[in-house]
Amino acid sequence: MDWIRTLVSRFAALFGKQKLDDELDEELRTHIEFAVEENLKLGMKAQQARTSALREFGGMTQTKETYCVQRGLPFVEQFGRDLRFAFRQLRKSPGFTIVALLTLALGVGANTAVFSLINGLLLRPLPLPHAEQLVVLRFDKGVSDPIDYEFCAPFFRDLENRREVFSEVFAYNGDTLLVKGQSGNENVPGMLVSGQFFQAMQTAPLRGRYLTPQDDRPGGSPAGLAVVISEDFWNNHFNRAPDAVGSTLIIANTHFTVVGVMPKRFIGPDPTQRPEIYAPLSADPIIDAPRNHIADGIHAWWLIVGARLKPGTSMEQANAALLTVSNPILQETGFADAGLMDEKENEHLHFAAEPGSRGYTYARFLFRKPLIAMFAMCGGILLAACLNLASLLMARGVARQRELATRLAMGATRRRVIQQLLTESLSIALLGTVAGLAAAPMVSHSLAALAENGFTEMRLDTSLDLRVFAFAALIAVVSSILIGLLAALQATAGNLNDHIKEGQQAKPAFERRKILPRVLMASEVAVALTLVIGAGLLATSLLRLFRSGAGFDPKGLVNIAFKMDKQQLQGDALMRLYQQLGEGLKRQPGVKSVSFEFVVPLSHRGWNGNYFTPAGGTHQIYMNAVGPDYFGTMRIPLYLGREFNWNDTKASGLKIILNQSAAKEFFPGQNALGQQITYPREKLSYQVVGIVADAKYREMQSPAPAAAYVPMQQDEQPKPSLTAVVRVDGPLAPLAAAARALAGNLAPSIPAPVVTTVDDVLNRSVSAERMMALLSLFFAGCALLVTAIGLYGTLSYATARRTSEIGIRMALGARRIGVVAMVFRENVLIAAVGTGAGLVAAALASRALASFLYETSPSDPWVLVCSVGALAFIASAASILPALRAAQIDPMRALRNE
Amino acid sequence: MGNDKSDVLQGTLDLMVLKTLESMGPLHGYGIARRIEQVSGNSLSLNQGTIYPALLRLQQRGWIKSAWGVSESNRRAKFYSLSPIGKKQIDEETENWERIAATMSRFLAPSN
Repeated sequence: MDWIRTLVSRFAALFGKQKLDDELDEELRTHIEFAVEENLKLGMKAQQARTSALREFGGMTQTKETYCVQRGLPFVEQFGRDLRFAFRQLRKSPGFTIVALLTLALGVGANTAVFSLINGLLLRPLPLPHAEQLVVLRFDKGVSDPIDYEFCAPFFRDLENRREVFSEVFAYNGDTLLVKGQSGNENVPGMLVSGQFFQAMQTAPLRGRYLTPQDDRPGGSPAGLAVVISEDFWNNHFNRAPDAVGSTLIIANTHFTVVGVMPKRFIGPDPTQRPEIYAPLSADPIIDAPRNHIADGIHAWWLIVGARLKPGTSMEQANAALLTVSNPILQETGFADAGLMDEKENEHLHFAAEPGSRGYTYARFLFRKPLIAMFAMCGGILLAACLNLASLLMARGVARQRELATRLAMGATRRRVIQQLLTESLSIALLGTVAGLAAAPMVSHSLAALAENGFTEMRLDTSLDLRVFAFAALIAVVSSILIGLLAALQATAGNLNDHIKEGQQAKPAFERRKILPRVLMASEVAVALTLVIGAGLLATSLLRLFRSGAGFDPKGLVNIAFKMDKQQLQGDALMRLYQQLGEGLKRQPGVKSVSFEFVVPLSHRGWNGNYFTPAGGTHQIYMNAVGPDYFGTMRIPLYLGREFNWNDTKASGLKIILNQSAAKEFFPGQNALGQQITYPREKLSYQVVGIVADAKYREMQSPAPAAAYVPMQQDEQPKPSLTAVVRVDGPLAPLAAAARALAGNLAPSIPAPVVTTVDDVLNRSVSAERMMALLSLFFAGCALLVTAIGLYGTLSYATARRTSEIGIRMALGARRIGVVAMVFRENVLIAAVGTGAGLVAAALASRALASFLYETSPSDPWVLVCSVGALAFIASAASILPALRAAQIDPMRALRNE
Repeated sequence: MGNDKSDVLQGTLDLMVLKTLESMGPLHGYGIARRIEQVSGNSLSLNQGTIYPALLRLQQRGWIKSAWGVSESNRRAKFYSLSPIGKKQIDEETENWERIAATMSRFLAPSN
């Protein structure tokens, strides 16, 4: 207790020091006056009384000093003095300061930005009470496709009722809901949630109530179907009207009652989603109509299942309990007997739990590796920035040796001087960190936007939180120590006399001491080269990816997605609607041709099936349902046969078009045209009417697979939602309005069609690659710049110190070209050693990049040669300037300065 | 200085100040110093100045408090007085000191 009071009082004394000093002065003055008074009373003379009083008191200055040390926090005050001195020093050399701050701000900003993304996606717990009790359930298959996080409804319903170790078990499915608004139907991001979901979330609704197990029944509770809305939806849709609770929303043409509003801080269980409407899981047949995941039973894998552990239950207990219920559930749901897995797989199947405090999101699997790779790159930049500053400070330290030596000679301890030099580097680090932190949110926003480009529905919270700040502070401290300590140790080492005498004279100063700065600069060169090689590889890979082509021409191609599943028409009638839409679109100015497709290529979606021919056997191929003139519109070459047309109806016999790879697989060495191919599962037989060129299917990164196309009119689905592909010559913007107007006219009940350019789809398909390539190029550019500054700065300092030496050399007859070569050589060695080390480092590091590279070897010779070339060029440019300046030295002037 | 005066032992000054304030009530720095000199019968070599860091230390611990007031001779001076915590602390410190003194005297007693 005493020490706390003491500390508080000492801390308080840091403020209002002037007043405290005045008080002390007055108190001591009074003391002397009391003494003088008493001495006078004792009969002393005035002069004697004062002398005696002062003698009795002891050392006045000494007392004041002891008092002041006792009163405040000497360490803090000293630190404050050092800090002021440091800022004066920094102001004196603005060039150095600006370079130091910018490089550090860049390093810190990039690191913090990427870390806040990593934090948002991988580390941050869900904003829920006791999030540590949450678990995510998975389904271990063990053999081929080992782990699955998607569950079917029967599994979940069974698990929901076996809660030995869990207080709640819940399931959800992020979904898009068709909601009737003032201007027709619109798509709203929502979530289907099971009965115990909200109970497990432990978040009280802002208004009304949340959904309960009574709501999660077919048809809802006795009061009808219910939904809960988010605060955002309440704002935008209801204008925060208090009577929103109890009002009716028409979702998928069905009445739902709003029973509650969830507060803004509640974001649900997936950190990348922001559902605005929560509907009961049992309403899936209504909301997802005509699909019905519940009726599809063990064939529909669509639910993410989570649970809340009972307090005090461990993960081991939970897993043990899940293991015992696994087999009974597989039996009860009929999964074990459905023949979906072979015997061996069935034995291995079991449920398991893993920590779920951070929620579950698929984006994690996509972006974990790119993010970590980027984080490593940012770390490289920061390392380069620190090495750079360390070398610059060290060079400056050499120039300041005389000042430091004088201070040491006057009695400052080495510790004290190092402390002061470290304060200098700490102030640089602090300023740099603050600048970096200020820039970080902007950077991470644009990073998140780049990532979200690939996932339009992804929303990530990248705001700075305590963890990010702690990380930034750690960076600042580590970097300042890294920057300052070496320089400070070196600057204060050695013999005092030598330093003071030495001054700036022509003397081959301690050769040994020149090694450390060179090692630092060489390491910086190595780091920079590693980053440049990495960036070169990623950029080359992206270029090759783009150049490899999609198999169709994306330029001037527009996708218009129609959502038809909630309107009345189906079958042939719906096809006639599509035909009308197509004709309407074709009349728009600039439109050359129009067709339709079911699966949008490169959208990561797919549809496949096992087909059979006697000649080729059974093969699994990718499928698509397309409209007339599809290949002409896409500019996929038609090698043989014909396109589909509107006459290829269900009645006209099943037709199919194969791509070249599929034709080769099914009809090796034969002409496929006119032959039959069968689909054994449905016992259907198709006639091949055309052969087309291969085109990429799911993504740019995989080569074009074997694929087949069927006419959209012959598709099995009653209400397919197709996407129109439109080849346009000219501006694309008017088309969006035209498509909306057309849909409003012909099919008023469907939501507004979504218009995207195929270029966008393609870019999205390579978004992770593009993001990494762009960022790594940016980082590599920065690393090169930082290295150039470092090489230039250190060489300039070193050369400036050799002015008189060079003067003497020139006076003795050295030629200017010789001087240039001598100075230039210093950096050549550094650059050469750094390049060697960088190549080794890159060889190790680029192996980690291999999985991101498309048709590019991690040791691609062109990339290596170009990277080394770029580095050599930058290093030469940075070194030639100081060398040329050295050659301008006037020998007479230099010698006179001695 | 003569050898008959002893230096003030580290830590004992605090207790002297506390006891002085206990017996005399609120007192200014000079008064405390004089009082200690008188009680010790001038056998202590005390630089009066050293009383001030001690007073600050006690104040920081919260054992004493200070306020500006006016002396008998009509001078403005800072007066120190015991705080409630300080009053409690005296007993503890006294006990502490007596224990040390007893230990010391056992060492110094002629061995038998």
